[in-house]
Amino acid sequence: MILKIVNDWFKRSNKIERLWLLAKIEFKLRYYENKLGLLWALIKPLLDIAIYYVVFQIVLKQNIPAFASYLFIGLILWNFFVESTAGTIQILSVKKYLYEYSNMNKLEIYISTLFSNSIGFFFNLLMFLLFYNFLEKQSIGTSILNIWIIVIFLNLFVLSLGISLILSTIYIVAKDITQIWMAFTSFLFFLSPIFYKLSTFKQALPSFDYGNPIAGIIINARRVMMEKSQPDFRLLVFDIGYAVILLLIGIFFLNRLGSKAAEKL
Amino acid sequence: MKNEVAILAKDISKTFRISEDSHNTVKHRLFNLFNPPRRKDVPALKITSLEIKKGECIGLIGRNGCGKTTLTKVLAGVYPTDTGFVKIHGSTMLMNLGVGMSHELTARENIYVSGSVLGLKIKEIDKLFDQIVDFAEIQGFLDTKVKFFSSGMMARLAFSIAVNAGADIMFLDEIFAVGDMKFQEKAIKVFESSWIEGKTVILVSHGMETIRRYCNRAAFMKNGQIEFFGETEKAIELYTTDNQ
Repeated sequence: MILKIVNDWFKRSNKIERLWLLAKIEFKLRYYENKLGLLWALIKPLLDIAIYYVVFQIVLKQNIPAFASYLFIGLILWNFFVESTAGTIQILSVKKYLYEYSNMNKLEIYISTLFSNSIGFFFNLLMFLLFYNFLEKQSIGTSILNIWIIVIFLNLFVLSLGISLILSTIYIVAKDITQIWMAFTSFLFFLSPIFYKLSTFKQALPSFDYGNPIAGIIINARRVMMEKSQPDFRLLVFDIGYAVILLLIGIFFLNRLGSKAAEKL
Repeated sequence: MKNEVAILAKDISKTFRISEDSHNTVKHRLFNLFNPPRRKDVPALKITSLEIKKGECIGLIGRNGCGKTTLTKVLAGVYPTDTGFVKIHGSTMLMNLGVGMSHELTARENIYVSGSVLGLKIKEIDKLFDQIVDFAEIQGFLDTKVKFFSSGMMARLAFSIAVNAGADIMFLDEIFAVGDMKFQEKAIKVFESSWIEGKTVILVSHGMETIRRYCNRAAFMKNGQIEFFGETEKAIELYTTDNQ
């Protein structure tokens, strides 16, 4: 089934172009409708960093080295995840005009939206690199190991796509999935080592870094971006496993529930 | 005319389940676990099979509520069928007064998005762009969001995209009701020119003149069933008697 989808994708040569076009327009809609434009994509994590920095470094004195960068990388990954899951729950309803009048493959709608989020993510990643190398006092500089972030990001992309497919197709039959997922993500936010010291996190919740794919992704991203070390491969394999399984479930849901979107939404 | 099949539908049917109180949330479902909603089944399309060849122009006629729109949506692959299967070869486009455009996008963006969804490459759309705009008579409103368009402008734009970009299989649902007289004339001219050559067209209309002029076969529908599928004249005759 997957093979068929992939095959169908490349058979028609304008597919990649179309995905890119839809992603660009989506991106423009999101960021250029307001005067601050792309800066918004950056302002949100910066504001979050400021808040958590004050709370955890100044008030609670966690003493994590390079804490601003530590937060920065964690938050941009987290924000991508939230935008791509909570932000796409209503995608089949919002983008109805794309599939309501033609036999376009719905999976493309998801991928283009996630592409658009990826543009924002890479912009922020660039900002992170600038910040880490030029402003962060405790920085240890860049290294070739930073390349691993691409694998880690792909992992996050597939994971988000899978969850997005599941949530948005459930939305067709249960509208309050939005609220349920909101509650769940705030729970997940506090169970991910975004602003805790990693050792505290591991001590309090042993082997939870294997249970929570986001935790693993953030831990590995920090390893390759800030610690000049290889990713934890066991963790990486686990997280890729989660992502692939969720994607398969998501595609199953899309075929089952998603096909009814045109008549139910 | 080539003998390739454009759409093959075997034993398709569609029943809409309409519940009076909507169980649309998890909460509602939990609280009403033992109190199932009252449901009504509406058989919009009864078991039907048909085959449409490439390059054919098929008329679809019948009175209001007989299932024409449902049939086109199932054949276009927008609705899943309850039984049987539909095989579609090529991209499809459904055109009716609702038209597939995003109200949040500008006319320019909509042209590119629709063109791309219809299977064109960006370069091909670049070439067609002026033609689409001229035909739709919307020069000067290119960078206006479509939501500020009048319904006539919107319909003209959609029609123009459909005519100029065009999918392999086009479902045209009452499209001649669009625009003023001058635009209608233009639309008919397009129809008479070589546009439909090589395209598969399913034309839904209440205008018998149109059906008679352009369709080589026609289907007459009644109560969710295709009563007759074949010679255009015969279908029109059946429709006329049904209306009396």
